[in-house]
Order: sequence, then structure tokens, then C-alpha cells
Amino acid sequence: MQAQDPATGRRRARSWDVFARARTTLDGLEHLVGGMGTSALALIALIGLAAVLPFCLTGVGLRLVPTSLRGLRTVANRERARLSRWGPEIINPDPVPPDWRTAIRQPATGRELLWLAWHATVGLLLGAIGLTLPFRAALDLVFPLYWPLLGPEDRAGAILEIWPADDLPSALLVSPMSLFWLGLALALIPGMARLQAWPGRRLLAADPGTDLALRVAQLTATRAAALDAHAAELRRIERSLHDGTQNRIVAVNVLLGAARRALARDPSTADAVLERAQDAAEQALSELRAVVRSILPPVLADRSLADALSGLAAASPVPCEVDADVPGRCPVSVEATAYFVVAEALTNIAKHSEARRATVTVRRTDDRLRIQIVDDGRGGAVEDGGSGLAGIRRRTEALDGTFTLTSPTGGPTTMNVSLPCG
Amino acid sequence: MRIVIAEDDALLREGLALLLRAEGLDVVATAPDAAGFLEAVDTHKPDVAIVDVRMPPTHTDEGIVAAVEARRRLPGLAVLVLSAYVEQAFATDLLSHGSSRLGYLLKERVGRVGEFLTALHRVADGGTAIDPEVVAQLLTRSRPDNRLERLSPRERDVLALMAEGLGNAAIAERLFVTDGAVHKHIRSIFAKLDLAPTDGTDRRVAAVLQYLESA
Repeated sequence: MQAQDPATGRRRARSWDVFARARTTLDGLEHLVGGMGTSALALIALIGLAAVLPFCLTGVGLRLVPTSLRGLRTVANRERARLSRWGPEIINPDPVPPDWRTAIRQPATGRELLWLAWHATVGLLLGAIGLTLPFRAALDLVFPLYWPLLGPEDRAGAILEIWPADDLPSALLVSPMSLFWLGLALALIPGMARLQAWPGRRLLAADPGTDLALRVAQLTATRAAALDAHAAELRRIERSLHDGTQNRIVAVNVLLGAARRALARDPSTADAVLERAQDAAEQALSELRAVVRSILPPVLADRSLADALSGLAAASPVPCEVDADVPGRCPVSVEATAYFVVAEALTNIAKHSEARRATVTVRRTDDRLRIQIVDDGRGGAVEDGGSGLAGIRRRTEALDGTFTLTSPTGGPTTMNVSLPCG
Repeated sequence: MRIVIAEDDALLREGLALLLRAEGLDVVATAPDAAGFLEAVDTHKPDVAIVDVRMPPTHTDEGIVAAVEARRRLPGLAVLVLSAYVEQAFATDLLSHGSSRLGYLLKERVGRVGEFLTALHRVADGGTAIDPEVVAQLLTRSRPDNRLERLSPRERDVLALMAEGLGNAAIAERLFVTDGAVHKHIRSIFAKLDLAPTDGTDRRVAAVLQYLESA
């Protein structure tokens, strides 16, 4: 769990550094106070559950069980959200079912009850102590200023809760004691924050089975999308081979047949037919080249993604600027998808946006390739079946990437694609 | 012979027209899609239509649908369907309305101009022209009750040529046998396939194809 605690975990090794320690302590204090908030809610939920429990014995309370468990789930989800902001994300479980039997049998419920018992008591206490320590330090520091106002019972135990401070010298002695409280705060608060969060991280995390089921569902969906994208791509290639190349070659064949007949009949007319046949053969070659290029552009294999994208930008009817800073190479599938995304986006911009210019930015940060495509067109782009945007999403998600589109009416349109390329 | 051509690929359309005109045939109209084709059929009342299977907008079977419709509008119209690849379903679609005055050929057959013209004339004269590839597919299709297995290899050759639409004399010529031998084979085929022997080329093909379809 330490590794998931970036603020405290990273700086523990250099705890001699007072400033670093102070920062860690402040972070811890913040978490403790936040945790105190949820633990107060937890306490209310605990009292509510305890109140419902006796009624359950008579059967009347059973109908209240789902409602009170929903309250528990709400509180637990708040804690999940709070812990997610701080460490790794904790996914909310499915909502509480309306039937009390299935509600109780839900694995998350039992774990949440355990967490509730801890967080409503120990969690609240830890929060209170954490808040008291710095408060006490501040009070002690200014103690000489207000001690005359205190009654005798408040003066008793003023020094470290042990000795009374009844006169000015002993009151002045209280001030340095704030250092003790401060030291105590520095020493204890980071650990207390971790201790307060620990049961939540253990008990509120989705149980491994659920997590895996979610992942499987997600993988199944993206795999289907990959197959779809694959099939669509095959269909596109088949169509362009059939309608272009194959028809050209058939035409060559027909014209050659005609030329042979012409040769037999009147050789002087054969040359004109042969010339047409050669034209058709040349067209077949150029169309074949276009099809091959569209499958995987050779420039992508020979040069780099940046070069391939520059080529795309140069061919775009809308003036386009490419800013690609991609050190090293990414996997072929990632580069091909990036190329496809930019090609499709530029085609879309040229077709629909009425943009005057577009910019493509590609960056590689850590293990992700991020592509941003912005145009100054009229916006209002939507992802319906017909547009290339749906294709972009399919191709992106097939690689476990993400695709977001912002296109308010009136523009500008921004597309963000992020692809993992570890 | 007045001909209408329906083919969406401009180069191929013009190539076909050029070839047929050079052979002295009368190409009265060409159309790039099904709608244009039906209009041309209505206007020119041709004898023969040469139709591509895949045409806009969906590039699936527009040509087949248009050919069936054209024959409904103009009974007796001979139709020669050209296809880029063998699709048995298209062939059976087309032939389910009868096999007379019908042809179904791969596009590349057009290059063998002599054979193509023979097939074209055969269809125009009321016969049938089925591409050998299509016949081969129909014959090798596996079926639970394969009565074709009763046939000798020679009889299968004869049946295949029959299915292409060839007459007895043409079959005899292809197989280098006498007319009488072909007659004997055909009688034997009909007996083995439980078909009553009939004469007339298209009826034989219809019988053969109907058997192949129903099996």
C-alpha cells in the first residue's frame, strides 16, 4: 500500500529533510481531515444500521435493509472517490439490489460493513487526534497571552497535560511545549493518515473477481471492435481491388481480345485498340499502387511516423501543419493506427468542416502516443455511423486507446487520441 | 442484333462497346447503373442485354435484380450476365426464372472474343450460356443424396458441357467423339439421374440445373 501513497511513500527515505517532512505532514493532515468527514458520515450510517437491526428480528426491518445498505453504499462510494483522488482508483461496485436477500449476499456489502465499523470509530478518532496535535501546538505557543483569562481548572495540566501553569514563568514555559506537539504531529500524522486509509483501501477495493470480470467485458468489447475494424478494412480493400484493379485488368483483357480480332481483320486499326489496352494496364497499375499504399503506407515502414504524417498533410486539401515529436519508433500497429487516424481526420475535415486550416500535434509521453487534431471549421461534428469518426474510435479502442471529440457548433473541432505504446 | 450494355466501370463499358461494334454488332445504348439500364431497355427494346452483376449504389446484386426486371418488362429479352467472380447464388437466382435466353459468364471470358461471341449468339437465339466455372461449382457441391456419383467420368464431362449450354454436336466436337456416342451418354445420364429424356438444349439445361438446385 505504501507505493500507492505518493506523498508519504516517496519522502519517507529522506525524512531528515524537515521541509519535506512538513509537506508530508500537511498532506497527511489534509487526508486525515477528509477522512474525518467520511468517518462522521460513517458514524451516522452505523447508527442508522444499528437502529434498523432490532426491527429485523421482527421482520418489519427487513424491508428497511436495502435502504440502509444504500446509505452505507453512498458513504462507502464517497470514501472510494476520496481515496481514488489520492491513490489508485477504486471502482464503485454495482448498486445495491432492491431485494434484501441479494443485497446482503453481495460480496461488497460484507466488506463495506467491516470498513464501516472501523472507519466510524478508529477512523474518526485518528482524524480527531490528527487535528488536535497542530491545534494544540498553536494554542501552547500563544498560551502566555491568554493564561490570565483562564480559570484554575484550565491552568491545571497546561504543561504537557501534567503540570499546572499558575504564574507567568510557568506560563512562559508552556510556549516551547508547542515544539513538542509539533514534533509529535510531524512524527505521527503521515502514519496516521495511512492507517486511517488502510482499511478503506483493503476493504472497499473491488474484489479481484469483479475487477477481472469488468476487464474481460471491456476486452471482449474492444476485441469485437477490433474484429469489426478488421472486417471493415478487408471490405474496403476488397472493394477497391474489385472496383478498381480487377475491372481495369478485365478491360485490358477485353481490349486485347478486340485487338487480336482487329489484327486478323484490318491490322491498321489494331494499334488504336492496343493503345487503349495499354492505358487500361497503366491505370490498373496505378490503382493497385493506391490500394497497396492504403493498406500500409511504405513511407511508414521505410521512414518514420512524422514523415508519413507530413506526407498526409501535404496531400490534404485543407492547409495542415504537422508538429510531430516522436523519439524512437512505436509498434507497427500503433503507428499504422496513428497514420489511419490522422488520414481519416484530415479527410473528414476536408469533406465536412469548411476549415481554413488544421493542425496535427503528435507527442510521445512515457508509454503513450498522443495525437491532437484541431481545425478552425464550423464544428458540430458528431460520431454517427457514416462519418469516419466512428472508424477512428473503432481503430483506437481496438488498441486499448482512447478517443475524445470536442466540436461545439461554430467550431473549433478538437480530436484527441491516446494510444498505449509500451 | 441490337444490344444494350449495363456496366458501371466506364473503361470496361466502352471497351465492350468498341469490341462488339468492331464485330459488326449494333450496340444501341450503354448505361452505368440499373436505372439507366432499365430506361434504355424501355426506350430501345433491344434483343440482348449484357449486364454487370455489381453496380451502384450497393455494389452487390443490382445487375441480377435489374436483369430479372428487364425480362419482366420486355419478355423474350436475352440477357447475358457478366460477373467478376463466380457466385452460385446469383446463377441460381437468375435461372430460377427459366434458363432460356440466359447467360452467366465470368468477365474474363470476353477476352476470348470468338467464344464470347458464340455464347452471345447462342443466348440471343434462345439458348443458354453458363460459365464452366459456375458449372464446376454446381457439380462439385457436396450433397447428402449425391446421385451424380452414379455417373461415369465421361458422363460427368458430358453433363458439364450440357450445363454450359452446348448442343450435342458441340459436345461431340469438344470430347472428340461421335454424335451417336454423345447421345448414348446423355440417355445414360438421364436414366441415372431419374430424368425423362427430352430434346431441346435449354430444356436439358433447365432439367440439369433444376436437379442441381433441388438436390
